[in-house]
Amino acid sequence: MRRQTVALCALSCALTLSAPINLASDETTEILRIGNAGEPQTLDPHRYNLNLEEHILKDMFIGLTTMNAAGEITPGSADSWSISSDGLTWTFKLRANRWSDGTPVTANDFLFSFRRVLDPNTAASLAFFLYCIENAQEVNAGTLPVDSLGVAALDPETFEIRLEKPFPYLAERLFYPTGYPVPSHVIEQHGDDWVKPEHWVSNGPYKLKDWLPQGHVELEKNPYFSLAPEHERTVDNVRYYPVADPLTGYHRFLAGELDVIGDFPVGELNALKEEYPDKVHVAPLLSIMYLVFNVTEPPFDDVRVRKALALAIDREILTTRVLQSGEPASASFVPKLVSDYESLVEETGQDLEQGRELLQQAGYSTNNPLRVTLRYIAGPENKKVHVALAAMWQEIGVETTLHHTELKVHFGDLRNGEFEVAQAGWFGENNPEHYVELLWSDIGSVNYGGYSSETVDAIIESAKNTANATSRADILKHAEQAALNDYPVVPLYSVMIRSLVDPRISGWQTNPRNSHGVRYMSIK
Amino acid sequence: MADKSAQFAWRALHVDQVSEALALMTRYVVRRVVFMVVTLWCVVSVTFFLLRLAPGGPFDDQHRMPPEIEANLKASYHLDEALHQQYFRYLSQLVRLDFGPSFKQKDFSVNELIKAGLPVSLTLGAMALVFALVLGMSLGTVAAFHHNSWLDKSLSTSVTFGLAVPPIVVAPLLVLLFAVTLRWLPAGGTAGMRGFILPAIALGLPHSAAFAKLMRGSCIDVLKQPFVLTARAKGLAAWRVALRHVVPSASVPVLSFLGPASATLLAGSLVVEEVFALPGLGRYFVQGAINRDYTLVLGAVVVYALLLLILNFAVDLCYSKLDPRIRAPHKQPHV
Repeated sequence: MRRQTVALCALSCALTLSAPINLASDETTEILRIGNAGEPQTLDPHRYNLNLEEHILKDMFIGLTTMNAAGEITPGSADSWSISSDGLTWTFKLRANRWSDGTPVTANDFLFSFRRVLDPNTAASLAFFLYCIENAQEVNAGTLPVDSLGVAALDPETFEIRLEKPFPYLAERLFYPTGYPVPSHVIEQHGDDWVKPEHWVSNGPYKLKDWLPQGHVELEKNPYFSLAPEHERTVDNVRYYPVADPLTGYHRFLAGELDVIGDFPVGELNALKEEYPDKVHVAPLLSIMYLVFNVTEPPFDDVRVRKALALAIDREILTTRVLQSGEPASASFVPKLVSDYESLVEETGQDLEQGRELLQQAGYSTNNPLRVTLRYIAGPENKKVHVALAAMWQEIGVETTLHHTELKVHFGDLRNGEFEVAQAGWFGENNPEHYVELLWSDIGSVNYGGYSSETVDAIIESAKNTANATSRADILKHAEQAALNDYPVVPLYSVMIRSLVDPRISGWQTNPRNSHGVRYMSIK
Repeated sequence: MADKSAQFAWRALHVDQVSEALALMTRYVVRRVVFMVVTLWCVVSVTFFLLRLAPGGPFDDQHRMPPEIEANLKASYHLDEALHQQYFRYLSQLVRLDFGPSFKQKDFSVNELIKAGLPVSLTLGAMALVFALVLGMSLGTVAAFHHNSWLDKSLSTSVTFGLAVPPIVVAPLLVLLFAVTLRWLPAGGTAGMRGFILPAIALGLPHSAAFAKLMRGSCIDVLKQPFVLTARAKGLAAWRVALRHVVPSASVPVLSFLGPASATLLAGSLVVEEVFALPGLGRYFVQGAINRDYTLVLGAVVVYALLLLILNFAVDLCYSKLDPRIRAPHKQPHV
């Protein structure tokens, strides 16, 4: 027995002693350490599905177009492009660009890549991003062969995309990872294993060095990368750490273990602003948070009920008193940050009187109150917002039951129409169509509430046949206005991104896409 | 001659007894292994079907999901097959020790993920166990030696406190003190062995309280034993009595608690790994459950179940050595 005790003591001593020895072996090379919202599910750009994967991938690949530090679209692997007068053919001139193994990037690589992402065998969950390309949907459904896709390599430096219908937002659509080129010569050799660090080849400023699952993803410079001088990189290595819990990320930032984090608990905001004004960055994201009504079933098949609930909401109170990060309130479904778009939807305030009247007309009274279940995604901030909404509805005599579930269950049920009224959100692009088309009856299950209006559909379809972006936006304004008059959704506000950036890091700019290329940053 | 034949007879008897004991042992081991396989199969089956019962699927999120894309995804993970086909496919993979591809961590197989995560969880568990043992046994011994004094009472109070406060409360407090304020240790992630210190403390603290309680009780009993009184009467210093006579005897019940404790330490690391962002198996398990990553959750469950079964088996095998009730009285430590 004594021997066992001694052995245990020895083991404990050995473990305790091993700790300080490791203190000295900490990394000495300077690495930019970024807290990312979670663990990437894949680094294959064609199979990606999450925003947090986009953050890593944009440092390793350059699509035909790319983004500057301010989040604006700029030429990427393509130097320039021309669009045919009918808006259906886009011709891209590629610039001299190399893969990280030194092989030149050619139009054939793009041809391979676009066919790969739409090949049903790739099972790309975001393949629909490229459904604007001729025959893309049929190819993805397996009804047409991949070589019937509307893309062509005219010569090694010229790549052509033919569209199904005019789509003036193609340059923006192409910077998503679904539009990134992947190295055909490596994939042909290694198959799905090409994403392993030992086989990895990419054409962006950085390449994959190491991936410790749930630990970190480390990138290093791609020695063959060259674009314009503004893309000159000063950061050698960057590590993305998965921090799913904002509080953990916040503690790791305060402890000096992370240089940048993209979220922290909202309760800390005011104290942080006072204490570290040079570290806190708060900026709105191109996004819209809204409530969606299931219009296919009572009580919300009645527009008066939907309107009554919409009128009972005071957005200013939600944003200034409840959320308190400076969220822009929005009565329009298209976020205010979308450029070159002036919504026709009026910013009306709360109107309890009219709300009560409408409910009365719909047959509800104090003896027969309207009872609804409001669903939202679990989380402290969401809870506050939806408790406030329930309180506002109570003022017009609505009895609200709050029901929260985790994200997967929430959106699973929303897609299946299993809800009465629910929280929803949409973010991403800097064009009105990205948002307005959610109210199109043909869009699929993301029109969660099953809203369908012939008038709105006709306007959206006419916009979809218009090649000029300005005229298209003008048509979409009317679609938005016509749809919102039916109250299928209640737009609420745009999301704020709360970041902490160590002042040693320069070149990090807030932008409405919350996209921060490491090639624009440097460490002092 | 007569002597020799007697010797042979004795040997034959001995060999007989040994082979009988071996046969008994083999039968016992075989029975236990069969039992383990059946248990494992039950665990796998229940988990497999429970996962499918859970609302929400691996591909449910905010994005658009055109029907053809859903079909492509389902086909690539065989989710388009009937449930019983998927079940038998999984079982046949499992027999070949292949946990399949992860549904969500698309660039890794579940085997690769477990290979990366298990050592982290085992290191954390081992460090927490050592911490809990050393701290718990020391505190228990000190308290027993000062039985009913103010020291004993204050130690007992803190032990009760330690038992009551779960790691999810202790962990952020440790981070705030040692990582954020003092900056002695990392707040999360793996930075060599340093990254394991705070998580091991958070995980081991409640167990050290349990060990302290056990050790105190057992020490108090041993202190009343005649051989301890004799040792003291002989004028041995108190610390010498403690180290040479009391602690070894008093450790027996503590050590017999090691099996269940190591099992809970392994299973209990889920929360701690999450709070400290440690890339262990527990974290995969939690993230896998959130993401409805069926194969990853199943893989983690199988590994956990296997570990628990093996640990319990090992503890049962060792019990005869550890349990003082089956020890002969003359084997008490002598003075």
